[in-house]
Amino acid sequence: MEKVLLKKDFPQWVKKLESYTIYSPQKEGDFWNYEVTKNSEIIDLDYLNTVLSPKKIVFPQREVLLEFSTSDEDELKVNEVLPEETQSIIFGVRPCDAKALTLTDKVFGGDIKDPYYWKRRNSTTLVGLTCNTPPSSNCFCISVDGSPHSKEGLDILMTDLGDKYYTESFTKKGDALLNLGKALFKTPTAKDKKDLEKIKADSKKKIKRQIKETAKIPPKLKDMFDSSFWDEESLSCIRCGICTYLCPTCHCFDMNDEVTSSSPIQGERVRTWDNCQFPDFTMHSSGHNPRPDKASRLRQRILHKFQYFVELYKNYQCTGCGRCISKCPVGIDIIEVLEKARDHGS
Amino acid sequence: MDHNTYIPKLAKIIEIKEEVGGARPIKTFRTQFLSTNDFSFRSGQCAMLSVFGRGESMISISSSPLLKEYLQFSILKMGRVTSSLHDMQVGDLIGIRGPYGNSFPMEDWKGKNIIFIGGGIGLAPIWSVLNTALGKKGDYGDLMLIYGARTSQDIVFKKELEELKKQMPVHLSIDVEEPDWKEFVGFVPQNVTDKKPSSKDAIAVTCGPPIMIKFVIKALEELGFKDEQIYTTVENKMKCGIGKCGRCNIGFHYVCKDGPVYSWAELKKLPQEY
Repeated sequence: MEKVLLKKDFPQWVKKLESYTIYSPQKEGDFWNYEVTKNSEIIDLDYLNTVLSPKKIVFPQREVLLEFSTSDEDELKVNEVLPEETQSIIFGVRPCDAKALTLTDKVFGGDIKDPYYWKRRNSTTLVGLTCNTPPSSNCFCISVDGSPHSKEGLDILMTDLGDKYYTESFTKKGDALLNLGKALFKTPTAKDKKDLEKIKADSKKKIKRQIKETAKIPPKLKDMFDSSFWDEESLSCIRCGICTYLCPTCHCFDMNDEVTSSSPIQGERVRTWDNCQFPDFTMHSSGHNPRPDKASRLRQRILHKFQYFVELYKNYQCTGCGRCISKCPVGIDIIEVLEKARDHGS
Repeated sequence: MDHNTYIPKLAKIIEIKEEVGGARPIKTFRTQFLSTNDFSFRSGQCAMLSVFGRGESMISISSSPLLKEYLQFSILKMGRVTSSLHDMQVGDLIGIRGPYGNSFPMEDWKGKNIIFIGGGIGLAPIWSVLNTALGKKGDYGDLMLIYGARTSQDIVFKKELEELKKQMPVHLSIDVEEPDWKEFVGFVPQNVTDKKPSSKDAIAVTCGPPIMIKFVIKALEELGFKDEQIYTTVENKMKCGIGKCGRCNIGFHYVCKDGPVYSWAELKKLPQEY
């Protein structure tokens, strides 16, 4: 379904979506993040890339998986705690972040599905926004099979045409939202379509950073496992883990028991984001650690994204959002690391 | 919605046996599910054990699937969860989820001789596959066990091993000499070289500390065993058990899902990071 929506009508459309929980990019201090939005507020779609991707909405940083308790009769009870049934809309999803969710879908799908992830994922509608200009100076989606106007993973893609949004719906979930705003949406004119094509074509040209010959990298990495390259590249790492915490495709997690009473026992089993850049991540209780140093952990991050994931799913596990580059306190730049790896030894 | 694999089933500890005392204690736990037992597994698979309030730990199932009355786990006291398990009493409840991972391809081994080679607590995963082979003796050729521990005190399943000697050759070893020790003295790989099991129509299954496995494989290669004839298990830190939490990977393999059983032919192709 393809429609146009005048910008002045946008708040009215949002009002009609009252039955949903609505998330949109909101500014706090210097930074943008997705937060729950009250319908009456005007959603500002003129935003730079958010610090955290919308991944945090379908895969929260902390969530309870189950509760356990012992009754007075000394009976131990374990209860499943699934997320509440809420239909949500996320407005202003960048195409790179929507694609990232299609990659976490692969991880949380498979033979044994993750019920917590899918409960939220299936009840969330993603409304994207074409990046007419890159929302970050480190954007490089076009180098990893992405595009600033990709529809991958999105239910709706909105493109800013100046005084209106060109609104494309690709799924039933998307059509349902457009139908709720029915009269506000008009049929696009020939000029609208022409403007859309031009904006989409120009959007790619405005991306400043890129990885050249990305396809050469996975086979190259395969032969670099034992290279001293990783020692050199990881020297400056302070293992803060911000690269993976902010990554829209990173999915690693920890599970721990949090206890509110030890006798009688009462508490929750909690899942939290974890991080392959931390030494504890792989350390056995014996003290043995398969990835004992910064070099092996940086290697894991790069190889997971550009070799292992490609071997498993034929996709890079990176969508070029640039967050890990922008926020690394010591300037480790995944584009540089990958390009150096590509040219290593040649 | 699909079955929620993260929710453990409650099981009662029905028996605890102290295998090894001292600084590296090992206890064997037998457990029974409170509700109907629909837990079906194959030798080599693991289960995620919960001590509620302490957390979870992935443990290999040491009983044979031929045995339906209970599940058995032999556990070395090491971290938070295994220490809590060691503090538990008969009648206490734990959580069990799984089974997880692949298993020994015992169907493919029919008609072959099997040599089991274990070190320390590595006898636990071997115990399941060994007893399954023993229970279906007609399906396999000659069976042999080569097993060693640091000292005679560190040997697990002592009584069961004496019984086993009536059914198959059992070659024990300890690392350094002790007054009353009559069997082999030295490391497990040396005992393998000493006992010279034939590689003809044979499968070797080895579990134990990584360093032992490395040298056992070397010893087996010298005896003419090919990579495809050697099987081992790998362990890594695990949380989810279903290849999602991301920490137990070796290359693109997740040990919890694609392992823990590997032939040496398969394992040597993966990055050596375990």
